[in-house]
Amino acid sequence: MNRRSFLRRAAGAGLAVGTGLPALCARLAAQPGRPNLSRVEARYYVKLPDREIECRLCPRLCRLGDKERGYCGVRENQGGVYYTLVYGKACSLNVDPIEKKPFFHVLPGTTALSMATAGCNVNCKFCQNWEISQVRAEQVEHFDLPPEAAAAKAVSSGCPSIAYTYSEPTVFFEYMYDTALLARRRGVRSLVVTGGHINPEPLADLLAVVDAVKVDLKGFTEGFYKAYVRGALKPVLEAIRTVAKSEAWLEIVYLVIPTLNDRPEDIREMARWVGNEAGVDVPLHFSRFHPMYLVKNLPPTPLSTLEAARETALGQGLRFVYIGNVPGHEAESTYCPGCGQAVIKRIGYSIEAVRLKKGKCASCGTAIPGIWA
Amino acid sequence: MGASRVVIIKSPGVFAASGTPDPAVVARMFARGLALLTGEGAGVRAAAALFRSSDRVGIKVNTIGGKALSTRPEVAHALAAWLAENALEERNIVIWDRTARELREAGYAPGPGRPGVRVLGTDADGVGYETGLVSHLDVGSLFSRILTEYTTASISLAILKDHGLAGVTAGMKNYFGAIHNPNKYHDDRCDPFVAQVFDAPPVKSRHRLTVVDALSVQFHRGPSYHARWAAKPGTLLFSVDPVAADSVGWALIERLRADAGLPSLEAEGRSPGYLATAEKMGLGRSAAAAIETIEETLS
Repeated sequence: MNRRSFLRRAAGAGLAVGTGLPALCARLAAQPGRPNLSRVEARYYVKLPDREIECRLCPRLCRLGDKERGYCGVRENQGGVYYTLVYGKACSLNVDPIEKKPFFHVLPGTTALSMATAGCNVNCKFCQNWEISQVRAEQVEHFDLPPEAAAAKAVSSGCPSIAYTYSEPTVFFEYMYDTALLARRRGVRSLVVTGGHINPEPLADLLAVVDAVKVDLKGFTEGFYKAYVRGALKPVLEAIRTVAKSEAWLEIVYLVIPTLNDRPEDIREMARWVGNEAGVDVPLHFSRFHPMYLVKNLPPTPLSTLEAARETALGQGLRFVYIGNVPGHEAESTYCPGCGQAVIKRIGYSIEAVRLKKGKCASCGTAIPGIWA
Repeated sequence: MGASRVVIIKSPGVFAASGTPDPAVVARMFARGLALLTGEGAGVRAAAALFRSSDRVGIKVNTIGGKALSTRPEVAHALAAWLAENALEERNIVIWDRTARELREAGYAPGPGRPGVRVLGTDADGVGYETGLVSHLDVGSLFSRILTEYTTASISLAILKDHGLAGVTAGMKNYFGAIHNPNKYHDDRCDPFVAQVFDAPPVKSRHRLTVVDALSVQFHRGPSYHARWAAKPGTLLFSVDPVAADSVGWALIERLRADAGLPSLEAEGRSPGYLATAEKMGLGRSAAAAIETIEETLS
């Protein structure tokens, strides 16, 4: 498929634009001249002498000279003005089950218009979407999808929500923010799937326009974050605290990687921290790792490890603990903490049954926290 | 192990009245520098000491800094001409960097289909990056197909610059322009990443020669161009030891900083520690005592 037909398909169907790696790499060079990038002034940066800038969007605080680009690969200093290169430049657009994000306590059984641009502000060695997250803006095929068009696409696709996902939405903050604002006016909710490397000020602004945030907590030691994420744990925990205190719904995913972040004492400490700092009602998903990107020498997470982690977290008082990437496992379902009945029965991304009445267990009336309508 | 040789060729008269390098003088600098480096007086023998006649040689330039602060076209083309005169067919020489846009902005004329020496950006139609991810130590990158498929031997021809994060950018860091994700490797003053990218098989197996373009040098507040901290030493550095070449380049930056009354990079906490890392990895020599410098000034 050439670039023209790619764009036509993207603009027409607007959906299911995937990221197959071989095709992507072959296309890295397929944009002669200046690629079709945006030149929208970024938010959250300060101008410094000699045309330098400091980005204040995420904890990296990239200090950049003229013509330099941030760690994210999608924000660039051009003559002392900092620009986002991916505003309205989606590279992935799909209608996904909301359970795929995963959000288990938000509008179960619905679909989310799921979108991304290139770029990320960390470099996880186990990244599942590195073909779009670990490339620069011009290295992936993208198409014009302005915020208003994205909001309209959600409505026309029957999606009650838009998920900013796949790569790291923090790096396309301005695009996400404006889309969320317009989507809200159309009655469409916004869901953020993030690693949580974002500074307090932009996060506070974002939380005013979105409805739910899922944070990928990638480990629970600074050593792991430095070695395998190329980031830091502390600001992620701070972001989780902030989301938990906000009006936005919070869920947390912990990808369990054999030998790297699966120490029982770390799992216990993490679960205790979540309960104390975010609350026992925050859903915690233990997700199964599969070999990917730069970590291909480890096996998929043993089921027993995931189940032990879940038991540990339940033992710490968390009320909604799930196992992910294991289709058909009983821990995919939501159980009422009052009577133990399954209130949402899931198999993979499918909803088999919902036994909720106005957010309460249909059997015993215990309130189940979440966004249900 | 003997000392690593770095040849330093200066030419105070290299800049013409227009401010651009005089191609004839640059050509003489190359001829003399490569002769001293190889110990072979004749160009053909000097070239034979570095390349096979069947080689396809890539000259990796650094053009991110625009016209004011990139490897100068006069320098790259003088090197290509020397190679063509002494060893290779022109069609087996390619001057290259990341993008055609950056090459154009630096004064090159990239484009396919021309006879002779090619000038090519990785983003040219039909080029791009390898589809296979190279995972090497802490580095995971796609490498330019210009490096991996078009060339059998590589020359790093980088401009010498102060670098706010790395301390110094020269021949080794120039290969960041051969990977798709250099932005991911600027943490910790680019250490160990500069050394590890160089050590990755696509680079290490091809690299034969470092030439540092120090005709103009940004000795402070790089890698962007700032006229008040740019000097014109009119110098080219030559070595087959990539670490030694960059170490001598670092020393030159320190001299220029001292002349300008600036603190050393070490005092600013910006020493290019990746050079010591590269030495530990066996990529070359970084200590001054282990480097033999041969310095000559052309009139």
